[in-house]
Amino acid sequence: MAEHPPSDQTPAGAPAEQAAVDRHWRRLALAAVGVAVAVGGLLGFVIIPAGQREHSHLSMDAAMRRAAGLEAGSPAHPQPPAAINSLPVSQVSWDPAIMQRLAAGNTARGAELAGQVCAACHGETGLSVTSAIPSLAGQTSYAIYKQLHDFRTGARVQPDMTAVAQSLAVGDLASIAAYYAAASQQYAALGMRDLSGETEIVRVAWEGDTRRRIPACMSCHTNGVGGPIETPALLGQNREYMAAQLNAYASGARKNDVYGRMRDISRRLTPHEREQLARYFQGTL
Amino acid sequence: MATLAETIPVPRSEPAISAGKLQVRRLVVAHVWVAIAAFAVACLLGVWQMWARSPLEAPAHTAANYFRSVTMHGVSMAYVLTTFFIMGFGYFTAETALKRPVPGLWLAWGAFWLGIAGVLMAALAIISGNASVLFTFYPPLTATVWFYVGLVLVVVASWVWCLIMIFAMQAWKSANPGQAVPLVMFATVANAVMWLWTTVGVATELLFQVIPAALGLNGMVDVGLSRTLFSWTLHAIVYFWLFPSYIAFYTMFPRAAGGRLYSDTMGRLAFILFIIYSLPVGLHHLLMDPEHSNGFKYLQTFLTALVSVPTLLTIFTITASAEVAGRMRGGTGTFGWIKTLPWGRPMVLATGLAFLMLFWGGGGGLINMSYGMNAMVHNTSWVTAHFHLIFGGTVVIMYFAIAYVMWPTLTGRSFPSMRPLNVQLWLWFIGMMVMTLPWHWTGLQGQWRRIAAFDYSNPLIASWGPWVIVSLIGGIILAVSALLFVWNLVTLHRSSSPRFAVVEVPYAEAVHPPGRLPASLNGFGLWNVIVAVLMLLAYGYPIAQFFIDPPPQAVVHRLH
Repeated sequence: MAEHPPSDQTPAGAPAEQAAVDRHWRRLALAAVGVAVAVGGLLGFVIIPAGQREHSHLSMDAAMRRAAGLEAGSPAHPQPPAAINSLPVSQVSWDPAIMQRLAAGNTARGAELAGQVCAACHGETGLSVTSAIPSLAGQTSYAIYKQLHDFRTGARVQPDMTAVAQSLAVGDLASIAAYYAAASQQYAALGMRDLSGETEIVRVAWEGDTRRRIPACMSCHTNGVGGPIETPALLGQNREYMAAQLNAYASGARKNDVYGRMRDISRRLTPHEREQLARYFQGTL
Repeated sequence: MATLAETIPVPRSEPAISAGKLQVRRLVVAHVWVAIAAFAVACLLGVWQMWARSPLEAPAHTAANYFRSVTMHGVSMAYVLTTFFIMGFGYFTAETALKRPVPGLWLAWGAFWLGIAGVLMAALAIISGNASVLFTFYPPLTATVWFYVGLVLVVVASWVWCLIMIFAMQAWKSANPGQAVPLVMFATVANAVMWLWTTVGVATELLFQVIPAALGLNGMVDVGLSRTLFSWTLHAIVYFWLFPSYIAFYTMFPRAAGGRLYSDTMGRLAFILFIIYSLPVGLHHLLMDPEHSNGFKYLQTFLTALVSVPTLLTIFTITASAEVAGRMRGGTGTFGWIKTLPWGRPMVLATGLAFLMLFWGGGGGLINMSYGMNAMVHNTSWVTAHFHLIFGGTVVIMYFAIAYVMWPTLTGRSFPSMRPLNVQLWLWFIGMMVMTLPWHWTGLQGQWRRIAAFDYSNPLIASWGPWVIVSLIGGIILAVSALLFVWNLVTLHRSSSPRFAVVEVPYAEAVHPPGRLPASLNGFGLWNVIVAVLMLLAYGYPIAQFFIDPPPQAVVHRLH
């Protein structure tokens, strides 16, 4: 860089006695920095681990290896399992493998399967034939895949869908999800429906009810905003299907919502509110 | 009142530089105006952003527009304003302090146009909505490749500047064997040396991770590694921005105050300590990240704490210099010297205000670097308020003061009155206080950062509303100050007052001017070795671990 005097020389033109001063400065600087690093290292890698060792029931060796990053994981002891039967609600994990699979979803294969297996009830483009069957139009591939996967693993149970999902490979589920997400893009206009409802219902949908600790529906169920990626879109969904799902969550018959979010919320809604929210979100074209 | 040069007695021992003959004049003016243009745009966007965050209805307020605006604001302020200002200021100091032509002027112009090309590429990428990723390079979110290539060009331009600065100092030392390099040039080269070290991290991240991801060459990216490489740059870049302020404190303020620098050696030590302790400390930006062990986080936090040493050295030295000046002007008593300082001079006023703001900003910084307290404020607007206070309060206000020192030399004209300059500085100070103090407060109450809108129908969030409106008022005051700054400089260009032939740049002399210095305080060889060793100790294993035991990678999320 700027100046690289060999160890015992001074800048050109400086008197020879300058070398002693320079040497002094070099030693002082190295010593000061060395002490700083030694103190910091001693505290960070030895003294603090020694202090933490006891509380985490670790050996000194293990505590120091953890401080240095040679050992990973939490030293916390596993908590005793909760008393309730904690059946895994869903086994979908949004890891890179699944994200890639959905991104690469083969929509040609998806279209073929959809035509053979799904379209009879859910329609070629995701508009279902009756109000009791959910429309897939307007949903993301994540939302569709999450439910198919849950049917396959038994996290969600519905006789027809369980049979269908279990007969297909996971890759095919991804392709179907990718197909319906792509095929229904033309139905983005579903979000343009006229929504009308009682003032109280509109407030629950958009603002929630803090007194009853009910968050706004739209704080998560808005495409691309807010909630987890698997959150389904509500606008334009069939009234009968939505009301049935809210009731199933409230009764605990359906339990594939991670952290029980929808079970909590549905239980706090009155049966009338569940019915009216379903009607509100279906909207009118 | 006339120029600083006229109000302050100038010893005529050195040949002064003729205004018309300053070879870097056009180069400096070009750089600084690009910086100011970016700054003005960013200020206005900043007002809109604060408006959008407030309970008041802002025009065109959508999430997409908000993040586009925040990206433009951050990139303009952090990369364009700073880099171009620092380059321009560097060329200015190299010629005025060394009193020699700056070597490689054609190269400097080449770097300027390279930087302009980069700025335009990045700006178009942001405006088109393909780069709304904020000014931080945090994968897996990636913008269009034009954004990154544009910013790389700006960095390459700054590398050219670094080499020119280093070469200019080397050439001066060869011509003046054994002599002490003028402090202002020593500090400028210290910044150049530090910047070369600093940019290694982000350049590696961009070239090997982000740009391939933006091009679609790799679908997966190691987020931990990229965050670590960015942290390498993240703290030192702030000191890169801050260096001109410290240069002004040491080499301009004491003279402007009518005194001398208390200690030249203290200045050199402070600049050297900034090089050493601003680099191996970046992990304190990752205290909440899981990819590093506590030992390394602790070591780097410990070294971070040592950055307070040069800061305190500076506060001591500059306050002592001010006291020397104040007493020379007749001040008596314990604090009487403060009153007698010439507060009507922009450089003195700016330094005083910068110190006040540095007190608040530095205090906030100490909280951020403390693991437990950081955990509480990390994702709140406390952090945003903190870096606005440091950046606006200590960096930018001194850029104003430096511009006010450079402009008479560059235009050959004096400011007809210091009043609009001082009004501008006061407005900036008031605006910054009014904006950032309530912002800190809402952060303490949990107001999260990096979001496009607040739902003020929620009673908790509604209680923040009045504070955000106060911050918005602060933002408006800042924008008025920014426009007044532009106006002040423009009027000097357009002034019809006659140019005067000779303008001496008022660099301060030390109470004891350095005679012969130890080589360590006159160059950077030793310090580069120490930085290399420190970086190896602090970052060696934290980076190597990603290759020893590669963690799972994340799917790249492209915005375009």
